[in-house]
Amino acid sequence: MNAVQTLKLTKEFDSLVAVDGVNLEIKKGELFSLLGPNGAGKTTTIRMLCCLLKPTNGTASILGHDVVKTPFAVKKLIGVSPQDTILSERLNCWENLALIGKVHGLSSDEVARRSKELLETMGLMERAKDQVRKFSGGMKRRLSIAMALVSDPQVLFLDEPTLGLDPQARRAIWEYIAELKGKKTILLTTHYMEEADFLSDRIGVIDEGRVVALGTSQELKTNLLEMRSMVVSIENISAEVMEDLQSKYSRLEMTKGRLKIYHKDLDFKEIVDYLHSRGVTVYSAALEQPTLEDVFIQITGKKLRD
Amino acid sequence: MKFWEIGKRNLKEIYRNPVLLGFLLGMPVAFMVVFCDAAGGGQASPIALSVVDEDHSQTSSVFIQYLGSVDAIELNESIYSEESQAQEDLEDGRISLYLLIPSGFEEAKQARQTVNLELAYKEADPMIGLLLKPMIEAVGFEFLGAAAPLNVELKGTESEIKNPAVNFYFPGIAVFGLMILVSTAAEIIAGDREKGFLSRMFTTPARPWDFILGYSLPFIPVLIVSTLIYLGVGMALGLTIVGNLGYAFLIFFLIGLCSIGVGMIVGSLVKSESQAGVSWLFVVPIAMISGAWFTVELMPSALKSVARALPFIHAIDASRAVISGSSFSAITLDIYWLIGWAVVLFAVGIVLFRRTMVS
Repeated sequence: MNAVQTLKLTKEFDSLVAVDGVNLEIKKGELFSLLGPNGAGKTTTIRMLCCLLKPTNGTASILGHDVVKTPFAVKKLIGVSPQDTILSERLNCWENLALIGKVHGLSSDEVARRSKELLETMGLMERAKDQVRKFSGGMKRRLSIAMALVSDPQVLFLDEPTLGLDPQARRAIWEYIAELKGKKTILLTTHYMEEADFLSDRIGVIDEGRVVALGTSQELKTNLLEMRSMVVSIENISAEVMEDLQSKYSRLEMTKGRLKIYHKDLDFKEIVDYLHSRGVTVYSAALEQPTLEDVFIQITGKKLRD
Repeated sequence: MKFWEIGKRNLKEIYRNPVLLGFLLGMPVAFMVVFCDAAGGGQASPIALSVVDEDHSQTSSVFIQYLGSVDAIELNESIYSEESQAQEDLEDGRISLYLLIPSGFEEAKQARQTVNLELAYKEADPMIGLLLKPMIEAVGFEFLGAAAPLNVELKGTESEIKNPAVNFYFPGIAVFGLMILVSTAAEIIAGDREKGFLSRMFTTPARPWDFILGYSLPFIPVLIVSTLIYLGVGMALGLTIVGNLGYAFLIFFLIGLCSIGVGMIVGSLVKSESQAGVSWLFVVPIAMISGAWFTVELMPSALKSVARALPFIHAIDASRAVISGSSFSAITLDIYWLIGWAVVLFAVGIVLFRRTMVS
């Protein structure tokens, strides 16, 4: 049995199709990322899986429990950290954790034990007795994730867990999520490709409501990326040379003395020699490692953060 | 006991928010002080007063002259010699109230026995009588000499009531104060809905009734504390409780529940920015037509039926009645009406919550 399974999951809002026939199979203990730009349908998918939205079509189940027919069975199994950090502002950390833990039916002792563990791991112990409205964004986010974990859920939904955080806070949360790998089934959404790359066992690339690619980070990069790219810093390039290059290679991008060449097979030496022979000054040149961003551009023809 | 946890959280959100708490408890107290002071203080514009002199004595005519010299009283020049005439004029609306000086007035004064005066007013307009009573008493004491026994009786109200104005205003303002719960309950729910807190809670195994109970229970201590504060302030301002305090408490409790119910409905339908507008749009006109601030006897019958259909006028009337000594049987229907409304409002609240849980 899969931890999360969806079949042709679809959500329409009036005329807009937010999620369009998504099929997902997430195994127990897997960390799966939905990667896509804002408005791709990531949050809508999560909201359907958390029983907050009724699918227009298709089905979804969590550990075999249908999200529409048996929402309360599903709710017992999941922990959710919503995209916007949502806490009870006038409660302190302990109280926020106790609220979620006890609503999930944990005893006071269990709640206290789990909360202590989580507050320590998340580095919130020092401020644990302060009302959370005074917290920084990073602290709130850490508490929000702790709240999703306090009931010891089997399936964890993390909707954009590092959205709007500074790199340091983001790194800290990544490390914590990485520690959970294998222990929990995690469905994470993000529009940061580094995040998906760093954390995921598998990635589903989602755009305009459809999953357009699925696989491990490496699979996506090698199988899907038909083109490689090379960046050359240059000066004195003529229009003639540009035309010549354009006819040879699939795509060229020229910005401020930086030429980016895309093609299926790129020969480093061949390109540099050619430029030299045409009197172009070359300051530096490098073949680029493909990124998920490249994969995304390749599949959808647009950038992730457009 | 999921509702208990949600309730605890909401109670903390309320009492840790000084602005909200101050508004909730402070505003009705301020209102009460203003209203009861303004009414009980005697600084009113002149009131037209007719006099029936059944004593026909020198003392009584001197007393009438004395009354005429008081700024706050505008004495009708013609003095009735028999009460029946005055009664007729009162019923026909030619006069709004009269003071009866019974025969034996002069004798009583000379013998230093209790002097009885009677202030009769139209049932429809009790406030003038209530306003005038302390004035007549003051004038009477001055006329008779400080320690003289004087009894000014208001027709239709209990004589044990020390300050009828306070007894009239208190229940209305207390009910109005509890109507503030509409806005507070709506604020908390609308805010939690918009900030996404409710959505987050909807991903937990809590059921709709856990939310309804969790959002209404924390208001119960607020309700009890407010009612106690109102009663305390009311008594400090001269409220006389002749009847059963427990019944009055029950009425305030039920109308508080109704207000919370209305607030939950407003909060689950309206955005928090427009919540205050919608709540007050509801509270102020309804408080007005329910007689929270003044008598509604003269109101057009259509408006009166609207007010009668809603629970608030029943709470005001019934609490006025029990505080002034009515028995429980006199207010049974009002109590049923209040219970009925509370049940309906909470049922609607549960339905609305069920609807908001999955969209």
